[in-house]
Order: sequence, then C-alpha cells, then structure tokens
Amino acid sequence: MSQEVIAALTQAVSLIVPEIVLVLGACAVFLGGTFRNDRHLWGVGALATLILAGVALWRSPPSPTSAASLYASSIFVDQPALLIRWTALVGGVVLLLLSWNAISDSLSGEFHGCLLLIVAGLSLTGSANDLVTLFLALELTSIPTYILLYLFRIDAAAQEAALKYFLLSVFSSALLLFGFSYLYGLGGTTNIPALADALTHGEENGISVSRLPAVVLIALVMIVSGLGFRISAVPFHFYAPDVYQGTATPAAALLAFVPKVAGFISLLRVLGFIGLDPRTNGLTLGNETPVFLWILAAFTMSLGNVLALLQSNLKRLLAYSSVAHAGYMLVALAAANSVQASEKTSGLSSLGGVPAVLFYLMAYGGMTVGAFAVLVYLSTPERPVENEDDLAGLSRNHPGLALMMTLFLFSLIGIPLTAGFVGKLLIFLGALAVEGDRAIFYRELALIMALNAAIGAWYYLRIVTKMYLHTPIKPLEPAKLAHSWPVLAALWICTVLTLGLGLPNPITNRIMRMASAPPISQEPGSALASNRPRRP
Amino acid sequence: MVYVSRPEHIVSGCDAMANVLVSLLVIPTVAAITVAILGQERAALVRWVSLGATVVNLILAAVLAIGFAGPRLRATPVANAAGSEAVLRTFEPPIAVSWDVLFLGQNGVAEGKPSAIQFYVGCDGLNVWLIVLTTLLMFSGVLVSWTSIHERVNEFYAWLLLLETGMLGVFMAFDIVLFYVFFELTLVPLFFLIGIWGGPQRRYAARKFFIYTLTGSMITLLGVLGVVLACQSETGELTFSIPRLVEIVHGRLALDSPAERAFWTAVPDVRAIIKHMFRLVGSQETVGMWGGVEFWVFLALSAGFAIKVPLVPLHTWLPLAHVEAPTAGSVLLAGILLKIGTYGFLRLCLPLAPDASLLLGVPLIGTLAVIGIVYGALCALAQDDIKKLVAYSSVSHLGFCMLGMFALNTAGLSGSLLQMINHGLSTGALFLVVGMLYERYHTRMMGDYGGLGARLHLLSLFMVFFCLTSIGLPGLNGFIGEALVLLGMYEVRPWMVVVGAGGIVLGAWYLLTMLMRVFFGPVKEPIAGTEHGVPVSDLNLRELSALIPIAVLCVVIGVYPQPILETARKEIELVADYAAQARERQANHQLRPGNLSLPPGNLDDSLLPRKSDPRQRFDDEVPPPKEQPEEQP
Repeated sequence: MSQEVIAALTQAVSLIVPEIVLVLGACAVFLGGTFRNDRHLWGVGALATLILAGVALWRSPPSPTSAASLYASSIFVDQPALLIRWTALVGGVVLLLLSWNAISDSLSGEFHGCLLLIVAGLSLTGSANDLVTLFLALELTSIPTYILLYLFRIDAAAQEAALKYFLLSVFSSALLLFGFSYLYGLGGTTNIPALADALTHGEENGISVSRLPAVVLIALVMIVSGLGFRISAVPFHFYAPDVYQGTATPAAALLAFVPKVAGFISLLRVLGFIGLDPRTNGLTLGNETPVFLWILAAFTMSLGNVLALLQSNLKRLLAYSSVAHAGYMLVALAAANSVQASEKTSGLSSLGGVPAVLFYLMAYGGMTVGAFAVLVYLSTPERPVENEDDLAGLSRNHPGLALMMTLFLFSLIGIPLTAGFVGKLLIFLGALAVEGDRAIFYRELALIMALNAAIGAWYYLRIVTKMYLHTPIKPLEPAKLAHSWPVLAALWICTVLTLGLGLPNPITNRIMRMASAPPISQEPGSALASNRPRRP
Repeated sequence: MVYVSRPEHIVSGCDAMANVLVSLLVIPTVAAITVAILGQERAALVRWVSLGATVVNLILAAVLAIGFAGPRLRATPVANAAGSEAVLRTFEPPIAVSWDVLFLGQNGVAEGKPSAIQFYVGCDGLNVWLIVLTTLLMFSGVLVSWTSIHERVNEFYAWLLLLETGMLGVFMAFDIVLFYVFFELTLVPLFFLIGIWGGPQRRYAARKFFIYTLTGSMITLLGVLGVVLACQSETGELTFSIPRLVEIVHGRLALDSPAERAFWTAVPDVRAIIKHMFRLVGSQETVGMWGGVEFWVFLALSAGFAIKVPLVPLHTWLPLAHVEAPTAGSVLLAGILLKIGTYGFLRLCLPLAPDASLLLGVPLIGTLAVIGIVYGALCALAQDDIKKLVAYSSVSHLGFCMLGMFALNTAGLSGSLLQMINHGLSTGALFLVVGMLYERYHTRMMGDYGGLGARLHLLSLFMVFFCLTSIGLPGLNGFIGEALVLLGMYEVRPWMVVVGAGGIVLGAWYLLTMLMRVFFGPVKEPIAGTEHGVPVSDLNLRELSALIPIAVLCVVIGVYPQPILETARKEIELVADYAAQARERQANHQLRPGNLSLPPGNLDDSLLPRKSDPRQRFDDEVPPPKEQPEEQP
C-alpha cells in the first residue's frame, strides 16, 4: 500500500469519526443482543453511543475546505453537512427515547443496533460528496429501516406496511442507481463537484448550457423520482399513508423524519445546490430542472393537503401532512435554483432556498416527531389512540399534553413563535427573492403555498378543536398510562426544538449562518481551474 | 448578539417611556402565565390578578399617551404661527425601542450592521390612542366577565391577557415581520375564547374565524415579504423596519424615472396577460405586462386586512364570530381586532403602495366600503337578535372607516382614525351592555323584551347613550368622525358620500327601532329573569365601572376631539402627503404619451364611468415598441 493511499484513508477516517463510533456501537449492541434481552440495557448503550458520537462530532477538527479536497475526497464536511449530522444525532436520540418501551426485550438489541445504523447512514448522507458514497449512505439508512419495521409488532397490517415499504424503497433505489449511471456516463466521474464541472464546461462535449440534452434529463427525472419516494413527493407518496397507519407509531415517526431528511439532503447534493465549486452549477443549469421541481412542489403540497382533509385516522392524517410539508420544502428547492443563479445573492445567502430547506427540515422534524410522540405517549394496548375522536377532550385530562400537541399542530400550521413559522417565512423569502423573467412563476408558487398553508390549517385545527372544545368520548384514564419517562423526555426535546427554533435565539442565528455558509472558503487567487480533474 | 439600538431621532428622556412601552407587552404576558399556573380552583385570585394587570396596563397606557401627546400639543401653536413645520419624511416614532432578533444575510448597508428582523416597538400619533383604547376595553372586558365566566376561569383570563399582548403588539410594532407575528398571534387566543366559552355554535364559529383570517393573513405575509424584497433588490439593503421601508419606497418613487415607475407603479396590463395566456402575443409585448411591485403588494396586503376589517364580500365570518363569542370576546373583537385591519391599511398599505391605493384602492375599496355601509345597515335592520344587530352595525361603521381612509386626504384620514377609536368605544360599549342584558335574562331576542326602561333604569340609560353615540349625534364622538370622513370623501368621490350618508340614516333607524322595541313601551320581561324568584337588579358597581370610563371618553371626544387629531396630525399629514404625491405622479404621466409605466386599460377605467373609450386611449398612448430604445438614451 502506497503512502498516498494510507494518507488518504487516514484523512477520510478522520472525517467520519462520529459515524464510525455509531457503527461500532451498533455492532456491539447487535452482538450483545444475542446474549442478553434487556431493553433498558441496550437502550442505555445506544444512547451512550449517540452521546459519544455527539462528543466526537463536537471535538472533530474543522475539515479542509479547499477546492482541492472538494474535488478529491468522497466525503466533504461543510457547514450544511455538520447541520445534518447534528440533526441526525438529535433525531436519533428522540426516536430512541420514543421507542424505548415500544420494543420488546427480546428484540431490543437488534432494534437499537438498527437505529444506530440508520443514524450513521443519515449522518453520512449529509457529507457525501460522491455518487457512490451517497448511494451507500442512503442504503445504510434504508436497509436497517426494513428490519426495524418488522421489529415493533408482527401482525398483518405491520407486515403489509413493512413489505410495501421494502418493495417501493428497493424500486426507488434502482431508479436512483439508473440515474446515477447516466450521470457517470456523461461526466466520467462519480465525484459530484467534478461531475458538475464536467457538465458546466461541457460545451465542447456537446452539452449546451441553456438546454440540457435528453440524457441528462433522463438522469434527472430518474434521480428525482428515486429520491421522491424518500421525501414522499406526489406521485411517489402513495405508500406513506398505508405504511404509517399499518406500522407502530414510533416507526411511523421514524419514517416521517429520517427518509425525508436523507432525501432532501441528497437532492441538495446531487442537484448541486450545496457543496459545489461556486463557478459551476451542476444540474441546476438549464430551464428544465426548475420547471420539474415547480410542478412537483405544486402537486405535492396541494394533493397532500387536500387528501389530509379527508382523513380521520391520525396517522394517515400526519402522513398526508408530511407529504404536504415535503411540498413546501420542494418550493424552496425549486426556488433555490434560480436564486443561486443570480449573482446578487452572494452576500445575501440567508434568503435563498437552500437555507430554507435545511432549516425547515429541522423544524419539520421537531414538530412532526413531536406530534407522533404525543400519540405514542397516549396509546395503551387497551386503548390505542388512532382516530381524531380518541383525542376528544384531551385538555381536560392531560392539559400539559394537550398544550404540547397544540404547540406542534400550530407549528405545523405555521403560527408565529414556533419553528414552523420561521421555516415558512424562510421558504417564502426564498421563493419571492427570485428575480428576472421567471420570478412570476415563483410568486405564483408562493401564492399556492400560502393557500395550501391555509387549507392545512383546517385539519390541524380540527384536532385542536377536538382536544379543547369537545368533551371526552372515552375518557383516557391518567392512571392507565404507562407514564414512560423516555417518551416524555422525547416530547420535551421536541417541544424545546419547536419553540427554540421559533423564538429567536443565538442558536437559531447560528443555524442560519451554518445553513447559508458557502462550501469553499474563498481564499484569494485559489487556482480552481488547475485543481479541476481532467475530463475524459 | 442582542443589542439595543436607538434610532437617532429618539430624544433623550424617552428611556422611561420606552420602558413603559415594553412593560405594556410584558405585564399581560406575565399575568397570563401566572393566571394559568394559579389553577381553576382559585378563581377569585385569578380574577383579581387579571384585573390588577389590566389596571396597571391602563395606567401605563395613560402615562404613555400623556407623555407622548404632551410635547406634541405644546409644540403645535408654535408650528402654526411659523406656518411651516418640518414635515416627516417617514414614520418616526418618538418613543421606540428595538432589538435585533433574527439575522438574515450579512450585507446590511448601514454601518456594517447585519440585516435582521427586529423587535422594534414604538409609539406615534397613529397608534397611541389605539393603545389606550385597547387597555381600556381590556379593563371593561375583565370586569364584564367577572361572574359570567365560571368554567375554566384561569384559562379564560390567560387567553384574554395573551390577546391583550397580541393586540398591543400589532399596534406598537414598527418591524414589518413583528407586525405580522402579532397579527397572527391574536388569532390563537381568540380561537380558544370563542371556541370554549362561546355560544351554541362556538366550534364552527371559532374555526371559521381562524381559517378565514389565516387565509388572508398568509397572503398578507407574501405582500409583506414582497415589499421587503423589492426594496432589497432596488437598493441592496435588506430591512424589515417599517419606517425605513417607507423611506426607501418614497425615495425611489421621488426619483420619478421611467425605470423606477415601471418597477414600482406600473399597472398590470390585464389584456396583455390574457393574450399571453392564450399565446396571442409575442415576447415583445409581454415586457412590463405584470406591472409594478406596488400593485401586487397592495393586493396581497389588502387580502388579509380586508378580511379583518371586514369589507363586504369577506365579512361572513364576522356576525357568526361576534354572536358566538363571550361578551369580553365580542367587545375586543369589535373594539380592537377589527381596527387591526384598518390600522394595517393605514400603517402599511397606504404608505407602501400609494399609487396602487390611489388607482385601485379608491375605486375598489371605496366602492366596497360604501356597499358595506348600506348592506351592513340593512342587515342590522333585519335582525331580531340584539347582538347580531350590533355585529352588523360594525360592518356598516367600519365601512365609514375605510371610506374615510381611501379619501386619501387629511380630513378623510383623520376622520378614519377618529372613527376607529369611536367605533371601538361605542360598539365595544354596546356589546358590553348587551352582554349585561344577556347575563340577566339569558336571551338576546328583541321580541322577548319590552319597556325595560321602566325596570332597569341605569342599564337603559347607558344603552340609549351608547346607541346615540353610535348613531352619530352631534356633541358625541360618532358625529365628529363621520363628519370628517364624509367631508374628506366629498372631494374625491361625491357619489360615495351621498350613498354613505344614507347609511347614517339607516343607522339611526335600526338602533332607534331596537331601543324602541326593547326599552320603551309596555314592560315585557322574559320569564328567565324571574326564574329564581328574585327579580333582576340594575347595574351594580362593577358593571358601572366598566361602562363609565367609556361613556366619559365618548363625551370628551365628542366635545373636544382636538387632542387626538392634533397628536396624530403629523403622521396623518405624512400619509396624505404620500397620497398627494401619487396623485401628482398619476396626473403627470397619464398625460404624457409614450409612457410605458402606466399602460392604459388599467382597472380604474372600468370603474369610472366618465372616462373615454379605453380602447381608443390604448391606441393613442402605447408607443410603437421600436421607439423605446431611441427615447431612453
């Protein structure tokens, strides 16, 4: 083994210490799980691993942000990547606490191992700088998810849900790979910035900047479709309600959160919204991408909201609501394209769509997982909370829980002082900041989104009405509840997140800065051109 | 990270006043949390804490008003003598405080300061009396709920106090996003107030109210952000401060160059847009087709405010919400929350979109306001439910408010501002009295009552008094406002004044009819009143103290409205001046041929009968596209 390879490996390893900690922890839990069946033990073990990974992330040295490393490495840890890592870890802690008592002792080792792997995969997705790494990271998230869906309970509904999710997820991965292969064929490399560079400077290869060739379009459609399953964009959303309803509530929370974060960060990476050399513009070139994303966004949010109106099952409702929120994030993504193209935004990056997507992902995680957490806390085997009517009069018996649920729902509506409002504000700013000929389309999109937010308010408010304005139909006995402190802790974390991201504070400002940081520190006179890899 | 920045114009000695301003927002919030924690059992304590908080707030608001109005009133004679006074260039709240809260972007222009959404609250002539009105009606609202609310008392008062924070915040906010935040935050407490303690249809009413308002305010948010981004794209400065935005908009408009006109004031060419949709035109003709920023900002901002006011086709949430709400909720809804809509027009719409207000607002909103005056009055005439009657009378009175505002001159705007306060006082008081009546007899149907004047002397006295203020009897407050409104509008659209004045007659008709049926004639009491064996009693001290301050203010304003008009004069003149500039621009550029910025076929034409055939003007005025480049250099 040559010195260079060893050096490259050491450097790569130093970049992914948190993920390595997570995977090692997962291995330990998997192995230990065969000897002892104790959900508390393995829960504590997994929690310790997550905290250890957090410490590793905290202590990790700043990664090199030179253009050379951007083109050379398959892992590139920029500020958005760090954000996603933290999101993954916090999300992992919440999901772990949420399913603490939902998992049986005998399966707890496998469950916690899978969860750690999912967190590791999600965390890695954020910093993948290479198509292969990205795909591996996505699979590292997906495969344990299939197992995990089987672990909570094994009845017909859960089996159907797990199988449905498995088949569609595999199918979407195939689509994604298909798209990747075309990209590789075009650019001759799997490194995303190099690929973008090849496409940008591809005029000599017959790729015009203004009009993408059909091959790129096919690749684009395949990639967005493949990731569309993960973010549950219409028309790839149809599995979501069935799967959420069929599976256990903690698993539904996981499905609402993890694949969405993974899908959006992958879209941001592959389409070249983040982590690119600023002189290239990857797949964002051409007029087709924004049109495609525009249509996807408009249909996703409208259909999600309208169908959610018809639901009375809470998990189905939240599933459609998650579809709608994917639509909102797609609005920001569609706009991100054009904002980035204009030079004016170089100093005003907080207004772009990319920070909006990143912020909204975190806000969405807090409020949606929080809403699921309330359902988990209230459900008992004798009296599962499934329908809206099960929440009737909640404010009488559990004023605190009702208040938390109200907070999450108001955040989902987008009422000020919650994370949802700041997220919507950023998305609107992103969509309206577009200038030029196409600005009008983004204004229309923002208007569609505003109307959608109002439609959405109707069904969220219906739940609030049930909790506060109705008398209990079947009163929940406070004594019957498990009073499981881990779920309560998860609830509190979500509450703090939802309020904390909504109220201005140093952390919110820090997140905004991180989300809008440029990928490469602009050192003067850096010879980007010389670092560019040779094109085939 | 957080620092206090003092705008230059803040005079020293106002620090104490700035503290008052912040305390006005903090006290109700803290009281709300305290009350919520106290629990349901300690109802008496909850009531006293709430009353204490509202009284303290009332006193603080009075201190603020005196501290603010004093210098202005003293300064006035000098200014009049000199004949010329430094005219404001933008809103400059003499009492203000601001903190940066959420940073967006790094390239703020002003001395390297990053652009941020600020917690920027202030007090100027437009909002100071509305702040006083809010605290006063809150005081009455707490008193009137004293015995009528006996379920979940702590929650009720907590939501009520939070509502006060929200309402005060809307009026005080000088940051456009902060304004919106408070604007939406008023929805949540009111949703619960109506939904939990309301009448039989409370759930439906609460949800309808919430969704209706939210839909509008979402579009308002787009308008708010639109104007911020428009200013940013023109000057590179990202700011959320309302005074600064107004300054930027008018700075750019004053340049009066064709490019600026095309960017800001151009009217969308509806014909071209329709043609464009059917692909009938080439790309040449689509330039400037979508019009300028102002037009869309005006439409977007109006969407939320018009629902809140409410203007007539959008008013359907109002009767339901007013009737179903508990008394305190109705009082605040009618007295304050409707004013948020009119205040929004005054503070944001008119200064930020003066040309669109003139071109589109006067014909469109003016017409809707006139329709509202008559339609609201006719609906009120048809009601048997007293509360519903008062609710519809609000629609009618708010029509006057909007009519005066879109006169866009000093008289109309002052009248409109005065009418906001008057309506808050008299309609708020009417809801209070109706609530007191309902508490005694548990019915609101006029048919159940008769000749109450002989039974309940004080209650009848107040009812008659407030009805008279609402009708606009000279010597009481309503008269001044309506007179100014009609005076102002007469210069602009005389026909609207004629129709609007008819609304006053109708107003007298329905209120006097109600008085006649309920309070005069042979005594007829609903059975419910004597159900418990004890006949109902007249107003007690608590109820009197809720009504007397309002009554006193009604008389004072009716006799001597100068303090209010004088303190608001500077800002009113500022808004009127912007409108005058817009008039001037319109007059100049419609006459000049070859002007792309105001393409003919604008919406003004369709609503004004006496203009010539628009098609002809189209041919005359639009230059051949090829001439454009030659003119520009």
